[in-house]
Amino acid sequence: MVLVLLFLLDLFLGSVRIPFCEIVKILISGEGKEEWVTIIYKFRFPKAITALLAGVALSVSGLQMQTVFRNPLAGPYVLGISAGASLGVAILMLGFSSLISASNILNIGNWAIVTAAWVGSGLILFLILIVSIRVRDIMTILILGIMFGSATTAVVSILQYFSHETALKAFVVWTMGSLGHVSHEQLQVLSFSVIIGLAISFASVKLLNALLLGETYATSLGLNVKASRILIFLSTSILAGSITAFCGPIGFIGIAVPHIARMIFNTADHRILLSGTLVLGGILLLFSDIIAHVPGYDTILPINSVTALVGIPVVVWVIIRNRKYKAFS
Amino acid sequence: MEYIEPVLLTRDLEIGFVLNNHKKKIIYSDINISAGKGELVALIGRNGVGKSTLLRTLANLQKPLSGEILINSTEINELKRIEAARIISFVSTEPIRIANLKVFDLVALGRFPHTNWAGRLKQRDRKLVQEAIKSAGLEGFEQKSVAEISDGERQRAMIARTLAQETGIVILDEPTAFLDLPGKYEIVKILNDLATNTGKTIIFSTHDLNIAVHRADKILLMLPHEIVSGAPEDLVLTDRFADIFIDSELQFDVHKGDFLLPVDFKGKIGLSGKGLARLWTTKALERIGLQVAEAGKQENIVDVNEKNGIIQIKLKTGGKKIEFGSIYQLSLYLKKIFSR
Repeated sequence: MVLVLLFLLDLFLGSVRIPFCEIVKILISGEGKEEWVTIIYKFRFPKAITALLAGVALSVSGLQMQTVFRNPLAGPYVLGISAGASLGVAILMLGFSSLISASNILNIGNWAIVTAAWVGSGLILFLILIVSIRVRDIMTILILGIMFGSATTAVVSILQYFSHETALKAFVVWTMGSLGHVSHEQLQVLSFSVIIGLAISFASVKLLNALLLGETYATSLGLNVKASRILIFLSTSILAGSITAFCGPIGFIGIAVPHIARMIFNTADHRILLSGTLVLGGILLLFSDIIAHVPGYDTILPINSVTALVGIPVVVWVIIRNRKYKAFS
Repeated sequence: MEYIEPVLLTRDLEIGFVLNNHKKKIIYSDINISAGKGELVALIGRNGVGKSTLLRTLANLQKPLSGEILINSTEINELKRIEAARIISFVSTEPIRIANLKVFDLVALGRFPHTNWAGRLKQRDRKLVQEAIKSAGLEGFEQKSVAEISDGERQRAMIARTLAQETGIVILDEPTAFLDLPGKYEIVKILNDLATNTGKTIIFSTHDLNIAVHRADKILLMLPHEIVSGAPEDLVLTDRFADIFIDSELQFDVHKGDFLLPVDFKGKIGLSGKGLARLWTTKALERIGLQVAEAGKQENIVDVNEKNGIIQIKLKTGGKKIEFGSIYQLSLYLKKIFSR
């Protein structure tokens, strides 16, 4: 209910003020003042869908990472998964730009971009997995995740420095991506990817529940831990990678939402937690998007700042509670 | 001679790890042990001897370096992972303290190898989970978080989880560690009841020798180069327990079934009296370093008598007779005399 309400609210509110009854009319009949129809269908509708998808995808990928790493502070942004996705796209756009003619750069397909993002985020995930097998300490892994993130950002900067002017321009435009800059074609690719990612997530609820107890217990229950991790990483990379590919990095939703879901539903059962996280993620990002547009004013705040302000208090709460008794392991 | 078919049997088992450079790190070799149906088996040995590695290998959590593990006469490697999980369950030393995990959900995870891809619990599954919780004495705890219950309750929840898993063999790595004394006894009693009543084969490692001696059907004594097995009484009578701490000062007391630190006696003292009062006075005198002898010709003689719950203690020393109200007072006085 709240989700539908916020989705509609996101359509109704924006920098350009459109009367309430006009929006209803446009939504129902598709007719009205031409520029308003354009705003609703070309801008607000795709943006609301994107916000919804991004919220859902990032939250679910955060939940999966927290369970697999048994780390309450894991998330696509803090562990550098989003940075990994950026690196993938940067290598595609800048690295290969010397191989193809400049005019072709702008024609790099959406699927190529999204695949590059998946590969980049998957790579970082596996790096973190390798480290987390050797290092058990939550904070150490977190710091290493931040290091990975910084390292990939550094590599991206170096790539930018050496790359062709046209390629650079294309890449810079891509990095400025936000919820509002997703085209119709991109939205199709995005929706498809998120649905695939979520399907894998729902197929692995049982595995997630077993992994909650750690590798030893999961194995003793008959789980193939390696195969399960690969499956879950696949969906995590698809979810976090696709969103980063088209909207740029959006922080703290991935960490915060699973904790809010645990708090509200008071359970560790992923069959409930996954659906809960999914809905709450959608709600939270739509809400953040509404705030970002500062209803009634012309300015648009960067979505990343809004999610940070919403998410950081939750993260701080988790850190403080975690000192009292370990939430995981 | 075997009177019961062994449920679990190893033949020349070698356990350890394969290192990154493909070299083997052998922890223990030539393991030939067995456990029968309905037996409670205690694995005893010093830290670092390889108890955990052995239990993990038996539980199919790591591969043996060589040799065989036969489960109901089937080689363990021939079982699929999920098949093995329906036969063997495991409780490790790692405590599970996940904030929002309910006792019911933890125990229900035991149904993992029996449920469908989504892990949906059918009516039979729910009934089994409920029964497991009841057997572990955790009724009323179903909706409590595993992070909020006591160590003993958490350990019982882990045992309930193995019951829900419906396995013929249950392996537990130090289930009594971290527990207080009543907690330790309670856990071992639950295990003993389960082995007796449900016919499960339960193998657990422990450092609580005293409890193991009194409750286990069979003891596997893991010495540095040999595993000795038998009923606890067999091992007491053949004096094998003493071999565990052979390089330490501890001595095994065959009467008490436990280890004691030897005492250097500072002197001798005579003791007369009967029953419990005499037994405990002897303990007190030995503790303060006095060897107890028959009253006879001793220079100092203690006489204890118990009448209607009142203990009378008299000490004859150098022609004097002194009375004491408690063993504590006597021990204080004697310490003073013998320290001169």
